[in-house]
Amino acid sequence: MADFGDWLQRPLAVIDKIFEHNGSDSDWQQSAIQFFEDKLQEDDSMMQVPSLNDVPLHLLQPNCLVRFRCMVQDMFDPEFYAGVYEVLDPNTQEKVLKSGKYRDVVDCAQANLQFERNFTADRQTLYCIPIPGEAAWVKEKFYQLEQGRTSPSTLHCEARNKRSLDEDGSTQAAVDGRLGRNVKRHEQPRPAGIDAGSTARLPLDLNFPLPEEKGPACLVKVYDNWDTFKVNDVVEVFGILSMDPAMSLLEDNSDETEARAALQVSEEDRCHHPPASLVPRLHLLFTQKLRHINPLLPRNPHEDTMEDLRAARAELLGFLTHATLGDELAAEYLLFHLLSSVYARRDVMPMGKFTLNLSGCANSNYSQELYAILRQLVPTSFRLPMTLEVMNGQRFCPRKDYSANRLLAGILQLSSGSLLMIDETELQTGQLDVTGVQNITALGNAITWQKVDYDFDFHQMEFPCNLNIVVTSEGKSLLPSDCQVRLKPQVVLANFNEYFGALRNSLSPALLDKFRVYLTLTRMMEYNIDDVISKAVEEDFVEMRRLEPDSITAENLHMLLTVARLLSLSVGQSSLTMLRWQRTKELEFSRRARPCEDRATGAREL
Amino acid sequence: MQEYAPPPKDPLDVFIEHRLLVERRQDAGSRDPRNHYPPELLRRFEVYLTQPGEVKSLAVREVRAAQLGHLVTVRGIVTRTGDVQPVLSVATYSCDRCGTDTFQLITSPMFTPLSLCEAPACRAERSGGRLYLQCRGSRFQRFQELRVQEHSDQVPVGGVPRMLLVHARGETTRCAAPGDHVCITGIFLPIMHPPFTRGHQGLLADTYLEAHCVTVTSKMEGQGDERAGEELTEEELKLIAEEDFYEKLAASIAPEIFGMDDVKKALLLLLVGGVERSPRGMKIRGNINICLMGDPGVAKSQLLVYIDRLSPRSQYTTGRGSSGVGLTAAVLRDPTTGSVLLEGGALVLADRGVCLIDEFDKMSEVDRTAIHEVMEQQTVSIAKAGILATLNARCAILAAANPAFGRYNPSRSLEQNLHLPAALLSRFDLIWLIQDRSDRDRDVRLAQHITYVHQHGCQPPAQFKPLPMSLMRRYLARSRTCQPSVPEALGDYVTAAYVEMRKEARGAGRDATFHSARSLLAVLRLSTALARLRLGTEVERADVNEAMRLVEMSKDSLVADRLNKARAQQPSDVVFAVVRELAGVHEGMRLGTSGGSEWDGTGRKTVRITEVRERCSRRGLASGDVEKALEDYEDLGLWQVNQARTLLSLL
Repeated sequence: MADFGDWLQRPLAVIDKIFEHNGSDSDWQQSAIQFFEDKLQEDDSMMQVPSLNDVPLHLLQPNCLVRFRCMVQDMFDPEFYAGVYEVLDPNTQEKVLKSGKYRDVVDCAQANLQFERNFTADRQTLYCIPIPGEAAWVKEKFYQLEQGRTSPSTLHCEARNKRSLDEDGSTQAAVDGRLGRNVKRHEQPRPAGIDAGSTARLPLDLNFPLPEEKGPACLVKVYDNWDTFKVNDVVEVFGILSMDPAMSLLEDNSDETEARAALQVSEEDRCHHPPASLVPRLHLLFTQKLRHINPLLPRNPHEDTMEDLRAARAELLGFLTHATLGDELAAEYLLFHLLSSVYARRDVMPMGKFTLNLSGCANSNYSQELYAILRQLVPTSFRLPMTLEVMNGQRFCPRKDYSANRLLAGILQLSSGSLLMIDETELQTGQLDVTGVQNITALGNAITWQKVDYDFDFHQMEFPCNLNIVVTSEGKSLLPSDCQVRLKPQVVLANFNEYFGALRNSLSPALLDKFRVYLTLTRMMEYNIDDVISKAVEEDFVEMRRLEPDSITAENLHMLLTVARLLSLSVGQSSLTMLRWQRTKELEFSRRARPCEDRATGAREL
Repeated sequence: MQEYAPPPKDPLDVFIEHRLLVERRQDAGSRDPRNHYPPELLRRFEVYLTQPGEVKSLAVREVRAAQLGHLVTVRGIVTRTGDVQPVLSVATYSCDRCGTDTFQLITSPMFTPLSLCEAPACRAERSGGRLYLQCRGSRFQRFQELRVQEHSDQVPVGGVPRMLLVHARGETTRCAAPGDHVCITGIFLPIMHPPFTRGHQGLLADTYLEAHCVTVTSKMEGQGDERAGEELTEEELKLIAEEDFYEKLAASIAPEIFGMDDVKKALLLLLVGGVERSPRGMKIRGNINICLMGDPGVAKSQLLVYIDRLSPRSQYTTGRGSSGVGLTAAVLRDPTTGSVLLEGGALVLADRGVCLIDEFDKMSEVDRTAIHEVMEQQTVSIAKAGILATLNARCAILAAANPAFGRYNPSRSLEQNLHLPAALLSRFDLIWLIQDRSDRDRDVRLAQHITYVHQHGCQPPAQFKPLPMSLMRRYLARSRTCQPSVPEALGDYVTAAYVEMRKEARGAGRDATFHSARSLLAVLRLSTALARLRLGTEVERADVNEAMRLVEMSKDSLVADRLNKARAQQPSDVVFAVVRELAGVHEGMRLGTSGGSEWDGTGRKTVRITEVRERCSRRGLASGDVEKALEDYEDLGLWQVNQARTLLSLL
């Protein structure tokens, strides 16, 4: 294919050329997409595309190619746009066909729009938000990667020129302070200009599921195969950035009639056409679904990393044992939990879920410290203190807001594989109101069936989820759980914070990275049980039932098999061996023995 | 002429009539053609298009750019309706100088009012007469904006339902209220915005559906499958109508749950439901109520969730009720208007469907009293805050309960175990105790099942393929339309069986359960449900037998554990007891009169074998066991069976 010039900086020019090249037949779209796909497949070229996650919006040039690592939060209704339209050139009196694809605004303002040969097409708008609960280390690593590859020159010299001069200073500041930049960016005074006024006047709810989340939201316009997108998908999208202020309905404007028009704008339009400076539009050219968002993972994991895994496991287990105050069993189960993931669903039952209830946590201090550690290990996480205010006041299940025609996010709208730590020790006595009861039910559903019922007012819709839920509680949790482990601290601590501070400091960054890679890799591994082993397992189970008909149920077998799977995965083995099965049984036995013990001691104390 | 004119209907009629009279008095020819009455003003009818013939309705998400300008039929649920507003369609102005009327036809959402009179009189005089809008002479049209959202079953997994804007004019307004399931035929059109206004940069077009026909579909149809209304095809009927269709349908319920064949059969009958009757104003419910009780972790909830998904209309709730409304109904005060509202609880919402109540035993006291009424009369009465209402709650109830002591304690009575009053329990047609019993054979199969699932992440290949859910739904919907009757002859049979059941209950002294008149109704309901399932028009004897077997099995599930401990009751013992009973030996008197036994010439008692088989099957024995027992005892020399194997004589 001919060189179409600077595809990174001016993708629209490339598209226009391809359009002219092929005339008005519909093939041109295919070749345009193909062109960008080919370009992006070249090694490293993906990394050259500036990422909306890392580069502040005002540093980006409009209409350049950008990428965005995001989660699909909502899907709007399709948009109908002029796929092909005809303009009359005022100078030459010549009618020219233009394509309206990949753009929001007609590029020739004074041109005469002709309607005879117009062709209306539709596209779907996705409302995308940064991945909720994305850990700071993930952002940081991605940023470092970005810095390594993108040469600053490809970015935004031109953008800077276009913007007002007073920004130059702050740009430098932004570049310097990049590390904390994800948080900082929005706290920085926005560059003076159109958007500053409007945002101050009309704070726009960006609809993030988790409180205190920051980052740009983005309206992604999808042109083909939009049915492949699902709500809560984690994707990396590549597309043309469009931030034309003309699109937003709510720009600050001194013009009186305009201001009056803005007042009449319905709530729906307000949410669907937010200011482009806050919520940029992105015209999708290429997308890839992400199975994980661990930046440390090599693109194609090698075989020999498996050997390292075993070493990593031992170290991680040791580390977690410190975190569980010397309780090895709890540490092992915690490790299993971090590896667990719903790998299949048979009808209503999710397979592979492994909700852990760590009971015996005396106060919320411990749970906070534990979360601080886990947050360092997993890419997405959130800690939910189960206080009465949170339970009664927060929205857990997403709800459709019909007046704004959008899906209001709830805390449980998380991407697949997120760690959700529920801290039950924070629960005080008090009254749960209707919302509170609903929220408890929602949590229960998420734990038991790995689904969240989104509230559509007239009906509920079931959305499957894949969350790793840990419940820390004092006694047995009031929420259901797959597996309850009673924490048995082996060390007595005088000072929690000191202990955990020291523990955190003891980790070298290299080791931490190793843990992160280990967790992500093992989580995604394939697993199977061969027939010989399954036969043995069956016999074993029957024998167990015979010996203890009352205490061993089908649930136990499910649990055993799940634990066996996680145990095998944790050592990097993709199939079950007899040895592991025996080990699983031992683990389960000692776990199940624990609550009884506890009850016994509790009785004595009383 | 005057007499034949239609009587004036509204101010516009009067206005026009008046003008016409005036015109006739003057010379008609001199009018400017511009000032002629536009036909839109005089028209007394509206034109609507309907889809020709059978056209498949589209889901909202299927309405795309290709449909622009086309007549489409869309199905969905109305989520919002705007107020009905008057929209000007013909504006009438009159001049303040010459008094001439000027008419303006309005087709777009915005228009520029005329201000200068163009009538010849004014123009000639250059008097510059001004025009004033005459509301009485203008024609307004009713206009309503609707929002339609697609049905949940039309949304692909992981998608968000789409919305569609609908404009209704004239007669199509006020056809639907929010929450209604509708089928709308209309023309899909773009809204023309003046180019280059803010937010609409000429490239984008908003769209709407110009409604031509709005029909409200019933909720059942709406929520069911897309093809729920369609007749089953020949092929599908054949697939179902095989020899063991009953077993097959039952096994297709929650195929991932292992075993529990009889429970699944009962649930199948619950989905079909018995025939409802109301002789002389008394209502006898047709819905079958089932209570599943069991030790924790025996997949009760899973069964409930599955039924929830299978049933076209269902409400899943826990005994506590997920909202403040609870199970029945509540009187609420609207926070904005302050008016009193009646809000239905789960049981009311599940009217004509299935209400699934998990943790039935944890129900609040208020609901517990109210549920008595629901379960027999199938209504909810409310007398609160000046509202007296009786709401229909014609739903089948499927309840799941945990035993009060964590595990079922066989040495206590059912009421104690469930912590529910007997009056409530008797309203359940069937109560199943699902127990987790250890038995080597079962365990092996269970273990195989579970390991297979973990190994492959799917169902083990069984002998049969579970029927797809949509087919099940349609078949069930089809069978629900049957209204089988109980033939006269069968009445006696049922009565006899009932009498026997009562007698047995008294005799055996099984205190766990008891038989009341309700049990008889339960048997009848179950048998009509079975007949429905066959798509039959009459209940057959086999149906009654199967119904009684289910009742018996459910009773057995409650007591079997104890029997096992005491002494396992062998099938042969049962057979022997049955034969003795039939022969009248048991009672030792009134020989020859009971049941089917009679004296033959030799003074031995004979019993008909068919009779024996029937009674045994009612007690939950497999026919193979009966045959074996008959042979065993014949070998022992206790009785003789004649050549044709029809009669059995005791020695």
